[in-house]
Amino acid sequence: MKTSETRFKGMRDLPSAHLLGTGTAMCAGCGGLEVLHEIYDILGKKTVFVNAAGCMTLLSIYPFTPFRGSWIYTAMASAPAGAQGVRDALDTLKRKERMKPADDLKVVCLTGDGSAYGMGLSSTSAAIDRGLDFLYICYDNEGYGNTGQQFSAATPHGARTSTSMGPRGFPGSKKDLFSIWAANSPAYAATVAGAEPLDLARKIEKADTAKGPRLILALSPCPVGWGYDPKDSVEIGKLAVKTGIWPLKEYIDGKVVHTKIPKKRLPVEEYLKRQGRFAHLFEPVRKDDILKEIQAGVDAYWEGVEG
Amino acid sequence: MYRIRFHGRGGQGMKTASRILGTAFFIEAFEVQDAPIYGAERRGAPVFAYVRAGREAINERGAITNPDLVVVADDTLVPVPAAGVLRGVTENTVLIINSVEEPETWRERLNLTGPVVTMPGVKVGDAQEVRFTGVVSAAAAAAVTGVISKTSFEAAIREEIAPLGEAVVDENLKRGVEAFDLTVKNGVSIKEGSTVSAAAYKRPEWIELGFESAAISAPAIHSAATSERMKTGLWRTVRPVIDYDRCNRCWWLCSTFCPDGAISVNKEGFPEIDYEHCKGCMICMAQCPPHAISAEAEHGRKEGGDEA
Ligand SMILES: Cc1ncc(C[n+]2csc(CCOP(=O)(O)OP(=O)(O)O)c2C)c(N)n1
Ligand code: SF4
Ligand SMILES: [Mg+2]
Repeated sequence: MKTSETRFKGMRDLPSAHLLGTGTAMCAGCGGLEVLHEIYDILGKKTVFVNAAGCMTLLSIYPFTPFRGSWIYTAMASAPAGAQGVRDALDTLKRKERMKPADDLKVVCLTGDGSAYGMGLSSTSAAIDRGLDFLYICYDNEGYGNTGQQFSAATPHGARTSTSMGPRGFPGSKKDLFSIWAANSPAYAATVAGAEPLDLARKIEKADTAKGPRLILALSPCPVGWGYDPKDSVEIGKLAVKTGIWPLKEYIDGKVVHTKIPKKRLPVEEYLKRQGRFAHLFEPVRKDDILKEIQAGVDAYWEGVEG
Repeated sequence: MYRIRFHGRGGQGMKTASRILGTAFFIEAFEVQDAPIYGAERRGAPVFAYVRAGREAINERGAITNPDLVVVADDTLVPVPAAGVLRGVTENTVLIINSVEEPETWRERLNLTGPVVTMPGVKVGDAQEVRFTGVVSAAAAAAVTGVISKTSFEAAIREEIAPLGEAVVDENLKRGVEAFDLTVKNGVSIKEGSTVSAAAYKRPEWIELGFESAAISAPAIHSAATSERMKTGLWRTVRPVIDYDRCNRCWWLCSTFCPDGAISVNKEGFPEIDYEHCKGCMICMAQCPPHAISAEAEHGRKEGGDEA
């Protein structure tokens, strides 16, 4: 997008008033909540959130809700199926003229990575097949946060979780959910980080105007699950981008475009050493082989991008 | 039967404390219940955990309302009604409180007739100390029971901390034993409370709600952002304070980064912190370019919800 096409030309154009209510049950310093409030400011209140089980389920606990519109809770595997039901109901109301077109609502799935990368992938796939008009927000804290940070399909290689406590951490590697979506010609897909709010705002603006299945994959640093002081949430997010671990990109008009290419990538260590979940890679003995593996993975990715 | 309650904030290790103490009792051949109680809230919110231990079968269930011992790992919780720190405390209840203030001050302030001691061996208000609050709380409790040997207590630490690795076990053992010894020196001990018979059971003060038609019992909730009624400012142990002389008015940083949306922007473009809801994550302080935001301990302030 040329800057002339966005209403977010600079940081000053970011929303200065916030829509999401305070007083939620999320942890102090929750990166997922940060990203959600940044997104909600731009999407606006004409939204229905369809939420699969996870930390964010605790946002709306009767009679309290931080939202200014509706929220519906589904089982972990079925948020996109819930979104289909809500979309159909709204369309039916419009068709029968029981609702004015101007009162239409945006249907937004809000799930963690446990749902988006794993349990809910099948119903996501089906929703994409049907061309469902919905926005899928995945706040990716790289594990099952709500239940005590067990590993998920989004957990990065080498990270310690409560189900990968060995000296080498999680043996698997992070699934590439963005590419799975991009390979299926969605209306829009993008990765974002709360620590990069301007890039995020421009992407939400685009996602909001597209029609069809859309993905916003949001890096969500989690002080509890990742092991760092809550005040560092934004710093950790910035480091994920500067080290090239979290590429900021979008799929638009059939192409993947990187929206922020770090000029000189910092070594991945700068990111890893700030988090308790990677502490075992540095002490009691340094695990150079794993550190090299992680760095090599990131380098290979960017070689593919930069050519 | 011993009835013991631990009060702290999410993240301060109260669950760990109750588990270590429960396991220590178990090793001493007691029948034991230990359980943490928390709502949906997470790190920073008031939580408590309890332990019952008896020589015979325990038929009581649920949260303890007649404690023999209350351990308060964070004294900023005392004035928070929702935390219920003083619930059921009588002249027979021992109160162990993590505080820089003297036990006598707390006795007078809270009008208590029972023994009050301060928790030994943790530096109050030091962020690095938080990870030892659990083990120190368990140590203080174990020591005042008088029926848990140091060996059993150490074995309990080993068992409960083992998943975190050798190094963490060792640190916890060191701090736990230190606190155990210091508490024993204090000479305070608790008495076992008597068993309460089923006949003496008092029903909780529930509000009976009659059965209504669906239109009344399940009204549509149309109010927006009702979560604002939850005063999460009470979670805070430190508060960010803005020095407006230094503030550059780049509100798009702090106001955007605050996860809770607790920083608004006034007409002049200055950020304003909503202390009723700020959870004290301190991201704003970490991200403020001219360092115009500093951290002030909540300690000693009366309640979390008030204005600076
Ligand atoms: C089918 C199913 N399995 C397990 C659970 C228990 N559960 C509730 S939340 C959760 C973790 C979800 O992880 P994620 O989607 O990453 O969200 P997060 O908790 O990290 O916010 C689990 C496993 C569930 N609700 N449903
Ligand atoms: S566990 Fe992590 S993702 Fe969940 S509410 Fe807490 S900080 Fe947020
Ligand atoms: Mg998750």
